[in-house]
Amino acid sequence: MIMKQRAFVVLFLGTLGGTLLAQAPSTSRPAAPPVPAPAVDLTGYWTPPMHEDAMERGAGSEIADYGGFALNEAGRLWALSYDPSRVTLRHHQCDAYVTAYQMRATGNFRIWEERDPHNHRLVAIHVWGQTTEGHRTIWMDGRPHPPAWAPHTFRGFSTGRFVGNALLVSTTHIKQGWLRRNGTPESDQATVTEFFVRHGDHLTNTTVVTDPVFLSEPQVRSNDYSRVPVDHAAWLYACDDGEQILDRAPDFVPHYLFGKQPYAKEFAQKYKLPLAASVDGAPSMYPGYAATLRNVTDAAANAMFEPAAGKANEASKAVDPEPRDGEIHVLPIRENVYMLVGDNGNIVVQTGEQGVFVVDTGEGKLADKVIAAIRQLARKPIQFIANTSAHPEHVGGNAKISAAGADLSLPGSFFAGQGGTLGTLTGLFAQIGSTATMIAHNNVSVRMQAANSPANMIPPDTFLEDRRRKFYNGEAVEMFYQPNAVTDGDSIVHFRKADVIVAGDVFTTTRYPVIDPKNGGSVQGEIKALNDILNRTVFEHEEDGGTMIVPGHGYLSNEHEVLEYRDMVVIVRDRVKAMIDAGATLAQVRSARLTADYDTRYGANTGPWTTAMFVEAVYNTLKPAPTNRSR
Amino acid sequence: MMHAFPGRLLLLSLAIMTIVAPAAYGQRGGPPAGQGGGQGGRQAGPPPTPRAAALADLTGYWVSLVTEDWRYRQFTPPKGDYVSIPIGPAGRKIADAWDPAKDEAAGEQCKAYGAAGVMRMPTRLHITWQDDTTLKLEADAGTQTRTFYFGEPKSAGGDWQGVSSASWDYPRALFPIGFGRGPVAPPPGGSLKVVTTKLKPGYLRKNGVPYSANTVMTEYFDRFDVPGGDSLLVVSSEIVDPEYLATPYWTSTHFKRQADGSGWNPSACAAR
Repeated sequence: MIMKQRAFVVLFLGTLGGTLLAQAPSTSRPAAPPVPAPAVDLTGYWTPPMHEDAMERGAGSEIADYGGFALNEAGRLWALSYDPSRVTLRHHQCDAYVTAYQMRATGNFRIWEERDPHNHRLVAIHVWGQTTEGHRTIWMDGRPHPPAWAPHTFRGFSTGRFVGNALLVSTTHIKQGWLRRNGTPESDQATVTEFFVRHGDHLTNTTVVTDPVFLSEPQVRSNDYSRVPVDHAAWLYACDDGEQILDRAPDFVPHYLFGKQPYAKEFAQKYKLPLAASVDGAPSMYPGYAATLRNVTDAAANAMFEPAAGKANEASKAVDPEPRDGEIHVLPIRENVYMLVGDNGNIVVQTGEQGVFVVDTGEGKLADKVIAAIRQLARKPIQFIANTSAHPEHVGGNAKISAAGADLSLPGSFFAGQGGTLGTLTGLFAQIGSTATMIAHNNVSVRMQAANSPANMIPPDTFLEDRRRKFYNGEAVEMFYQPNAVTDGDSIVHFRKADVIVAGDVFTTTRYPVIDPKNGGSVQGEIKALNDILNRTVFEHEEDGGTMIVPGHGYLSNEHEVLEYRDMVVIVRDRVKAMIDAGATLAQVRSARLTADYDTRYGANTGPWTTAMFVEAVYNTLKPAPTNRSR
Repeated sequence: MMHAFPGRLLLLSLAIMTIVAPAAYGQRGGPPAGQGGGQGGRQAGPPPTPRAAALADLTGYWVSLVTEDWRYRQFTPPKGDYVSIPIGPAGRKIADAWDPAKDEAAGEQCKAYGAAGVMRMPTRLHITWQDDTTLKLEADAGTQTRTFYFGEPKSAGGDWQGVSSASWDYPRALFPIGFGRGPVAPPPGGSLKVVTTKLKPGYLRKNGVPYSANTVMTEYFDRFDVPGGDSLLVVSSEIVDPEYLATPYWTSTHFKRQADGSGWNPSACAAR
């Protein structure tokens, strides 16, 4: 009983003291620790009344209605090229919504908090969007955003903090998606700043999308939600892809050639708007816009539906995902498979009981640091090195990294015996197993020999047909030859248990494919190789996660990035082919700016691989061989 | 007797907190640093004026970003096009009879520029303190002025802009009492709340979608500073019109801060 009294005395004094302390002038208080509690409670069930843009968010927006969007030329042309039938393609059927569109789309939301069970500090705020099961996690614990080479997701990576009465959210690492469902694009380089503010049962979410690829200025929209006291009880959005339209060629991607979108002018005609109005980009957002259209001629309006003539190609505005800090950075992918970033080309390492399997060795400038990083991951020696191509950024470290390894399966084998007998005479097997075994398609070896690469860089263990396989560290590892893709020696490597595909330069997130016709590359082979990757992938949920793809350069991806890249190559191929069929010369094709909608993402006007070189490579591999007219 | 002591002590503790806590809770500081206007802090003397107690600096020039309902806002939509608005049968009847020539003839070109319509216009705003208790919002579209009174309104209403009562609003609990941290101080920052009534009937949309004299419009003005970017003014509004709307009508309209008034371009009301 006495103990109980004491407890209440402590409670009394503590409560009183705390209450009075709260009134004391702030200058006399000790510095307050960071407030762990939310400033406002956003939790509960929320429904958007959709009293703005109801058509867009419900039935769907109309074709070529981009009014009020700050689309730049690339964004406008991308949208005009878009054919809504693209979502009938198997891999697009379950495309989820990106963050900003998720908040704008139809469907209800549920918001809840995640707290540390021990100290009840706020760890995260979760937002669940009913449509496409859009689960967002807004980290509130101060963690940093991932590095530039980390994967992107449809909802991206979000961190939040309370600013006044608002929750301020910053989102990066978003996949390519929609600003509007009629193909108005948002690139994978977009970042989103959001403000959530609650007034009673009215929640307003303001999104600010900054996209250097497709927007000329930030796109601001605000969304309203009403709090409802009951569970909507319908939170799932199951999606499984299937055959929607049969007998399509595998390299068919629905799109419209520039200037050939047959419905592009319907919107303006239907609503009696000036033709330029809905395709004019940022000016259309501001007061007085309607009056300015009186001065736009028909010719000027029509010109907006095609790339601007005589304009120089734009260069990429994407973030460079290479760290370029002289260090090797290790990104765990799944199971015992890692991506090593820093030596220009991506490197993949699989570790286990048997040893280390390395795919590609980077440029070689940081080979010592690559070896050191591998030794941090595994004690066993590097036993195998597979090369996806003969490109210098993928074989540059071969000599050093193989020398740092050993193929211990060889010294005890039959061949070692040969080393003991014949070897004595020839020295042929004297060094057997003393380095890692380098594997590649035979054409890699041929091309490197032709380029006079040092012998200790050239993979000696080669294959000629379509597949090379091993069961290593408890996992099936397969190499699949991709004939005449960017070169004639490309392979992809599939770690089947971890479900990681190493794509080499068949797929990058940084540039147009380096199709090298002189070394056997072709645009058709490249498309086939990208489709081969897509035939091996499985998404985990709504086109996200699942099979992970390591690009030759750029950030860790999954099938969605490969899909958008495949679409891009097919679309550019179709445009070039259409001009070739119409008798165009290379100069005419170049001046037509057929990549104008992709240049702000992948383009380059300087450096080893320019947009002009890419277009030329596509042209040269599509151009019919000259017929022999001699009799 | 001993066993009754803890209960009494607890009651006493709660009583003290009930008396003291609201006082502590009510000692709200001034505006957030850098957001202008207020003197803030807890000072002796009379309570700060609404201007001094401003939770956000909304003053300056703002330009609307017409990124939503674009077709209906940048251009006058055809008659009967009231998509998105929860219009009721009586409202529909009026909207279907819209005749801009008739409005012009009656000198009522400003029907779409009333308080419930003007904020959705492509417009620039100029917000200033008229005095310590009155905030003035001018729109160059239609050359309209809205006046927000923190104290007793000095307007009888019945015109396009009606009567607007203003207050600073921030998240608060009904019973501000708490254990552990004591009275929970509200977070810094907040919104301007404006309730507008006594409106002359006008249009929500330029093509004659009506609101009545019984309309009550509640707006929250929030300023958001985008890190490394623009400052935004977001106006979340609820329009309740028992005559012409089937449900409350919710929109949020956003504006970008301008460095100066160089774009200011007052224009006359237009009925079409």
